[in-house]
Amino acid sequence: MRNDIISVLKENANISAYKVNTTTTESYELFFVHNTLETVRSTSTTDTTVTVYVEHDEKLGDATFSVYASTTLDELKEKTEKAVNKALLVNNKPYSLPECEELVASIPSTLQKDSPKDVAAKIAKAVFAANDDERGSINALEVFMNKITTSVVNSNGLNKQESKYVAAVEAIPTWNEGESVELYKYFKFSELDENAITNEIKEAMREVSQRGIAQKPNVPINCNMVLCAQELSELFANITDELGYASVYFGQNAFSKGDSIAKDQTGDAITVSMKASIPGSADSAVFDADGVTLSDVCLIKDGVVTNYYGSNRYAQYLGENVTGVLKCISVETGTLTEDEMKLAPYIECVSMSGLQVDVYNDYIGGEVRLGYYFDGEKITPVTGISVSGKLSTALSTARLLREASVKGNYYGPQKGMFGGITVI
Amino acid sequence: MAFSKFLESKRNDCKELVAELLKRYSYASILGSDVSSFGITANKSTSAINEGTLSECGFVVKLHNGRSFFEYSLDDISGDKVALADKIASSLEVSSSISDDMIECNTINDEPLVQSFSRECDRSTFTDKDILDTCIKIKDDILSRDERIVNAMASVSCFSVSKLFISKNRELDQYYSWANGFAIAVLKDGDKIVQARETTYSHLLSEAINTLPSKVDRLVDKAIKLASAKPIVPGVYDVITDPSITGLIAHEAFGHGVEMDQFVKDRALAKQYLGDYVASPICNMKDGAASALSTASYFFDDDGVLAHDTQIIKDGILVSGISDVVSATQLGTEPTGNGRRQSFKRKAYSRMTNTFFEAGNDKLEDMISSIKHGYMLFETNNGMEDPKNWQIQCTAEYGIEIVDGKLTDNYVSPVVMSGSVPELLKSITMISDDFKVIGAGSCGKGYKEWVRVSDGGPALKARVKLA
Repeated sequence: MRNDIISVLKENANISAYKVNTTTTESYELFFVHNTLETVRSTSTTDTTVTVYVEHDEKLGDATFSVYASTTLDELKEKTEKAVNKALLVNNKPYSLPECEELVASIPSTLQKDSPKDVAAKIAKAVFAANDDERGSINALEVFMNKITTSVVNSNGLNKQESKYVAAVEAIPTWNEGESVELYKYFKFSELDENAITNEIKEAMREVSQRGIAQKPNVPINCNMVLCAQELSELFANITDELGYASVYFGQNAFSKGDSIAKDQTGDAITVSMKASIPGSADSAVFDADGVTLSDVCLIKDGVVTNYYGSNRYAQYLGENVTGVLKCISVETGTLTEDEMKLAPYIECVSMSGLQVDVYNDYIGGEVRLGYYFDGEKITPVTGISVSGKLSTALSTARLLREASVKGNYYGPQKGMFGGITVI
Repeated sequence: MAFSKFLESKRNDCKELVAELLKRYSYASILGSDVSSFGITANKSTSAINEGTLSECGFVVKLHNGRSFFEYSLDDISGDKVALADKIASSLEVSSSISDDMIECNTINDEPLVQSFSRECDRSTFTDKDILDTCIKIKDDILSRDERIVNAMASVSCFSVSKLFISKNRELDQYYSWANGFAIAVLKDGDKIVQARETTYSHLLSEAINTLPSKVDRLVDKAIKLASAKPIVPGVYDVITDPSITGLIAHEAFGHGVEMDQFVKDRALAKQYLGDYVASPICNMKDGAASALSTASYFFDDDGVLAHDTQIIKDGILVSGISDVVSATQLGTEPTGNGRRQSFKRKAYSRMTNTFFEAGNDKLEDMISSIKHGYMLFETNNGMEDPKNWQIQCTAEYGIEIVDGKLTDNYVSPVVMSGSVPELLKSITMISDDFKVIGAGSCGKGYKEWVRVSDGGPALKARVKLA
């Protein structure tokens, strides 16, 4: 199919440049209801998107269209011609596509050592092995085993392909003592480590057992807020989103180079980088959708914005280095220890409905489904509370734990402690 | 525009493959999906005409072996059906280490029905140039209104859906479309940046396009007001919700909680409350692809079940859930036409469609005047469900302070509303007599499986925690 597409694109004299993106996914999926297997799924699909670029009137227009396995040659020619006509309507500032470069990358993984059905079964068994208490249960489990092959070809001769294995688990650890309670657990991984899976769910089982006995505090709480890796990844993703080339180009970035993201810093200096890969992260990649080889970049050094990052097009518009659209966030660890955390009361947000971060309105907050409240002497599980405060205050008082962990596309401190927070 | 010629050409292939699969399975059906979509956008210095993210073309096979359920997604079903059926069966084999753990469930009820459906669509009356020119004009208009506006965007998107469902006894096809318009203003006032948005939506592209220019006044006014918005002082307040926030409450508080695949997994507290009061007696709530004409309105779902108009809450009492075929089969209930997939590549789950509170008897002005100090909350930002433990978090883009029964010019943003679902729903004391369903939303289940949904309703007066 790809050869047919390229032939048709080359035949069309109006096309100045082109790009063809293809993603092939082979998946095997298990869906459990409690401990029984309800549904087995498998997929074998390919997505192909073609972008045509047309130079006209000293401008550059582009348009995209999808090509399917069922698309005939005549349909392909018709879609191409229509896309050319669309591109002629678009008057963008010209830019060039990435230059000729060839790459075939296959990221080896222990997920490929057995058949997908056997690996998926091992993952399921590893999850269920985490529940060894009759008061606990895994009320639902979904296991996804994917082999994903992405490729990009362009008219400059660039031709890159990357294959990787990605597994994902969605599990619902539940505690059935008294009022039944649950927590939601979703994580992706690129290596099969059954012990790590069991331990991750075991920790979730311990947390949900605490949710079962957690109470809404009956006295007002005034203390620091501790966020765990999941919420830290969301916090820093909101900040790095502001430093993308497209945001900067349109003048709608909340932070600029030279700005301090944390004025009057009293906590740890914050250093954040975007990376192509993080060991064990399923979001690691070699190149982006334009075929740009991803280059790591430090965006924030000691609390000060030093760089932006982003796509080929907007990098050229701004005259910046092309880093590619990086997906992984790396945050340097800080100086905080667990003992230091206990020098003052805090609430550790173990499970939230979703951290809300609004960089424009200087806001951070959210509803806490399970928190560990340290009152200066003892730790009590709490629920039914919300935290909120100024993002700027939170960042300037941030203390980051010495120990790091990987959570999805995030590598950084396991915990962070923030001041200036209201708990209600 | 009309039903997909491609799917029409595959109708017999579907029937042949179903027949072949029925030699191996007790139930077999095929859903063919051909969705075309586009997005046309203009902002300050760029424009784009792109294929939309909802576009797809492919098939998903659903099977039952007399015990459990199976699905296989593929791009095409041409060629040798015996070989394809063998390949599907082989791909769905289960590891011997867990084969004894498979569920035992009755097979899917396959009631006979042959029917075609379509809804009026006017996509062909607009050229790409017409739409792009409109977007550019709106964008220029927004930028001209205030020098503090650093970027403006106008966008029109549309999806047209053709689906073909074939089983041994059912043969259904449908064609429909939906259009959305968006206008966004980004305003920079000193160090503060705010973003305001307005939406339009209709089954007719002409309505989505033609009503967008009239939203610019409100958009720019809102952006200017938001620039002076302050953070809210956390606390418990009397609030009035606009239809968007009302819809978000309906969606997060009870919509997810009555998705009956959660009943099967004992993940929904609502399962224990069927027939009980769960809300103020003046509350009525519905869901269904046939409950309203909006972005989630279709004629049959991805399991081949006809669209329903389901009463969820009647006079404060929880009366029904919503289900897909697999959960209904396990529960021994009738499916309600809520089996939906993100795409043909994904599993069907019990999902909401158009979810809303029904109108009440109060006048909005009376509701506002009844509040000594509180807030009126506007525009959904996002929300999160907790169907097992009935906690709720809904984020509004902004609120306007009410003092002595009158709306002031004091804006607060953002506003996060949270608390216990029963406490919130039982605190509802007034419901307005107007009503709006907003067809511009998307919804995930957990953190994935995104589908288009609408929600809405009247204005509600309630007492809630804001932070």
